[in-house]
Amino acid sequence: MTDMKTPKISRREMLGGGGAAVAGAAVLATPLKQADAAPKAPRWGMVMDLRRCIGCRACTVACKAENDVSLGRFRTVIQEKTWGTFPKTKKVFLPIMCNHCEGNKKDKVPPCVKVCPEFPGERKKWTSPSGKKIRYRHGATYKRPDGLILIDKSLCIGCGKCIDACPYGVRSFDPFVKAGKDPMKQAADKCDMCKHRIDNGVEPACVTTCQGRARIFGDLSDPGSEVSKLVKEHSLETPDNVLLPDEGTIPNVFYIDPDKVLKTVYRQREKGKLDHYMDQIP
Amino acid sequence: MNKLNRRNFMTLAGASGAALAAGVGGSEKALAGSIKLQKSGRDFSPTTLKERKAIPTACWGCVTRDAMIGFVEDGRLKKLDGNPNSIRTMGVICAKAQAGVNQVYFPDRILYPLRRVGKRGEHKWKRVSWDAALDEIAGRLKKLRDAGTPEKFMYHYGRHKASQAATMYDFMAAYGTKTIGNHTSICEGSKWVGQESLWGGMYDNWDYDNTEFVVNFGSNQFETHTNHIPTSQRLIRAMVERGVPLYTFDVRLSATAAKSTEWVPIKPGKDGLVMLSMCNVIMNEGLYRKDHFKYMRVTADHNASVDDKIAAVKANVAKFTPEFASSESGVPAAKIKQIARGFAKAKSACLITYRGAVMHFHGADQERAAMLLSAITNNLDTKGGRVMGVGAGWKAPSSPKAEVHKGLNIRDGFPGEAAFPTHHVSQSILPLIKDGQFGRPEVYWWSCHNPAYVYGDNKEIEAIMKDESIMPFTITSNIVYDESSALADIILPDVTYLERWDWEDMVSPPQVAEFYIRQPLVKPLGEARCQGDVWPDLAKRIGFELVYKDKEDYVRQSCEMTPGVKEAGGFEYMKKHGVWHDKNAKPNFGFFEREVDVSGDGVILDEKTGVYWNWKKAGAASEAEARSKGYLGTKGAKKAYVAQNIEGTPRSAYPPNTKFLKSGLLDFYSDNFAAKGFSAFPTYTPIPEHEKMGKDDLILTTFKIAVHTHSRTSHCKWLSEIKHDNPAWINPRTAGERGIKNGDTIKVASAIGEMTTTAYVTEGILPGVIAISYHLGRRYSGIYGSGKSDPINGGAAADRDAGNIWWKKHGSHPNALIPNWSDPISGGQRWMDTVVQVARA
Repeated sequence: MTDMKTPKISRREMLGGGGAAVAGAAVLATPLKQADAAPKAPRWGMVMDLRRCIGCRACTVACKAENDVSLGRFRTVIQEKTWGTFPKTKKVFLPIMCNHCEGNKKDKVPPCVKVCPEFPGERKKWTSPSGKKIRYRHGATYKRPDGLILIDKSLCIGCGKCIDACPYGVRSFDPFVKAGKDPMKQAADKCDMCKHRIDNGVEPACVTTCQGRARIFGDLSDPGSEVSKLVKEHSLETPDNVLLPDEGTIPNVFYIDPDKVLKTVYRQREKGKLDHYMDQIP
Repeated sequence: MNKLNRRNFMTLAGASGAALAAGVGGSEKALAGSIKLQKSGRDFSPTTLKERKAIPTACWGCVTRDAMIGFVEDGRLKKLDGNPNSIRTMGVICAKAQAGVNQVYFPDRILYPLRRVGKRGEHKWKRVSWDAALDEIAGRLKKLRDAGTPEKFMYHYGRHKASQAATMYDFMAAYGTKTIGNHTSICEGSKWVGQESLWGGMYDNWDYDNTEFVVNFGSNQFETHTNHIPTSQRLIRAMVERGVPLYTFDVRLSATAAKSTEWVPIKPGKDGLVMLSMCNVIMNEGLYRKDHFKYMRVTADHNASVDDKIAAVKANVAKFTPEFASSESGVPAAKIKQIARGFAKAKSACLITYRGAVMHFHGADQERAAMLLSAITNNLDTKGGRVMGVGAGWKAPSSPKAEVHKGLNIRDGFPGEAAFPTHHVSQSILPLIKDGQFGRPEVYWWSCHNPAYVYGDNKEIEAIMKDESIMPFTITSNIVYDESSALADIILPDVTYLERWDWEDMVSPPQVAEFYIRQPLVKPLGEARCQGDVWPDLAKRIGFELVYKDKEDYVRQSCEMTPGVKEAGGFEYMKKHGVWHDKNAKPNFGFFEREVDVSGDGVILDEKTGVYWNWKKAGAASEAEARSKGYLGTKGAKKAYVAQNIEGTPRSAYPPNTKFLKSGLLDFYSDNFAAKGFSAFPTYTPIPEHEKMGKDDLILTTFKIAVHTHSRTSHCKWLSEIKHDNPAWINPRTAGERGIKNGDTIKVASAIGEMTTTAYVTEGILPGVIAISYHLGRRYSGIYGSGKSDPINGGAAADRDAGNIWWKKHGSHPNALIPNWSDPISGGQRWMDTVVQVARA
């Protein structure tokens, strides 16, 4: 904890009651662009402020409760790592979850969606918050126009290809839910950014319970949102501020990491395994 | 055993649950994408998308007791979140609070009254009705009461606070027993005794919102604390948003130490010495602030001038040089100087301490050193410093007291064990019952407590509880079949905290009291009953009446009689909002400076101490007698304290609100201590056993982690999944000397016992120390806590997750190695002093 920047606006001011004012300010700041871009769809993203994460696991457990996640797997975890030599020992906590990837530059389809045998499926319409209907291709795993990578368990065949394809290893089989298209198998499952909450205007469960305010959620396409401001202020659109940049997945989860520990702490998945995604306190 | 279909029961029990209070939240639906996202207050089903019913309530996972919102779907509790309107918690809760759902629905939960049928501890039970259970208990209690020996009924609680404690004390007073045990001495009792001896009160709140500098001795603030969520989030915010540095002295790289500006490893028991050496630096370098000296007493003379006091403090800390402290503590002298200077020069600074500093031999004195360091830098009861906490002062109804009201003298330790057991000596209660010199209870009832697990030398405690010749009749109210329930004669199925009413009062960091309530989120499962509902029923069966009919009634009456809450709308307001605070209240800083009118009838000045006191209120025979005996010489004068003469002005200062007789000055020179043979001024006393250590000996310390309480969470699946094993932390150097590698099975032995555990070889601990967390190693804690379903119900199948349990380890409990031995000052359990030998198994 050496580099402690002081944000110009406190998080509390921005989120607590100040929401409307911030939105207004954003419109004023870029009136033309906003009007042009006419909120087609939000692009949901999260900023993880590693300075603020104290490794308390409230997010991990809140997620378990909110989504009734079975034992033996997680939708979000904290990884922790101790390194260095006594007495200069360090320990850091790293919250990880589905990155709700943009997908590679070429086709904007993330690897989990690409391998889904049930994608692309039906053409569907999604209604944006502003009332606009936006067409997209549905599937067992698909990308919603607001950027969320979601699973339609009723279409899932339980093949597990998406579980293997995710470079981050954040997917697993849900022992509580059968695959809709093959009831002999279990459906794939992962973080859906608590879409049932955000669609109703409430932040994801891991965010609302975070005492450090280390998880900041919002619309990356709105320059006035706190996430956008943090991305700008901390220059987060760099390979150093996302996980596995070389995979070309273009994550929508960014890390504020002034101590440059991301690469030290992050434990990647081993092929065919998900041990890295079990939240365990040593 | 009556076999119900537990699966159906557990799943559907809530379904008929009465629709309870109105929801919170309630704002209009904010559109996604408008960035106007709401922080908690509402929740929705991920499957049906239906909005869940929101009910304000409060946590009980630990003593912090956060204000929460419970979200209920079709009568079943699904989710918990912080109450966004709480000024204490600011709408967030911790992992343990999030797992509150598990407390209600864990499959091994005790749901019916049970009567032992085999030998005690044989796990043979029959289900009985509440009527049968209460009639038997009432019969025994009535007999004791009628015989004029109500004190032979003992009640022993672990966590009882606010109205849960108040209703219990009300019943006990109406019944007539004062034999009521608590658990504070195994928590942090030494800390409170140290504070009370000079502050005249206790419970330090840490004003992170205004502080510029924080120094921490032995508190795992970011993982666990008695006021965790309200304080911890403010500290990390201060660090990140205002660049406030945090220095943590600890034997171990806890999450708190890891997030600190710097972790300063320190040998166990040396915290007070390092604090005194910081005082030495500050005094010698002239970095002290004079402001608070006029409120301090540092010599025998109450009326010493500030200059005299400065000279006296300087003289008293002269021997604690940074070099000496360094040689004892292992902390480099330069580091001590650096932190001392930073602390003293900061505009405001917060000195925090907890169990790591105080649960030692002479632990209470370490806390006095912490207070001294705060006072000489003017960081006591000032903004940004260490301040006396403010909790809600509820008014509550009170039942008529029994004519005979007495207690057994078994709460304060063996004769000579503790000089000032103001928070009692709970680790000695069962040994004293065995000893028998002060009599034995004939009925022993414990609740929210697990004596056979939580005390030191717990195998001995278990043996005492098992012995029917020593403990003739035992009762517990519990939700889980644990190490102690196994030794009950009657088990009463308690409700969880999410199924009951309470008013709550925990300390509020903004220094403005928050009043809040707990209300049931779902109907109690099975036949579980709240103790606050049982007391009036039991009273009737014994033959007396209480002034409330059930806990809800008690809470309702309290809301209607508590100033502020009443005007806000009383019970109905609290049910709807959960929390209330006075928006016009001024934060309680600088209360000690308040000028006091001393013109009242009977108020006189005691020249010796500078105390204004009311001789009439004190019950002195005449003013002349009062003057001749003086404030300190008059029994009852403490209660008649009015003000302290501070440089000619009567000010409230620090009233003697506890058992310590003192003036209104901070009693850094304590006659109380001197009279009992301790140093009057805070000092350094080496731990005798550590002075005699052999070269291969290690010191055992224990600790708590973020996702478990001491003994009431291991049955929660979401917590035990994350943390179910508690390997022993050991430095590679210490391990290497013993040929121990990471993951090896090791044997840890003390003078009283030994255990087998696994080595966690880590650079995150001081060499020469072994640290083991104390929440695991459960023999009985349901399938998730102990790997086996309880012997009564075998109800694990009721949870569809039971088949998904994947962990095989359940940890090892270190308490069998730690004797029940007390700080001779306070009676606090010496958790951190045990000397052990460690070898590969």
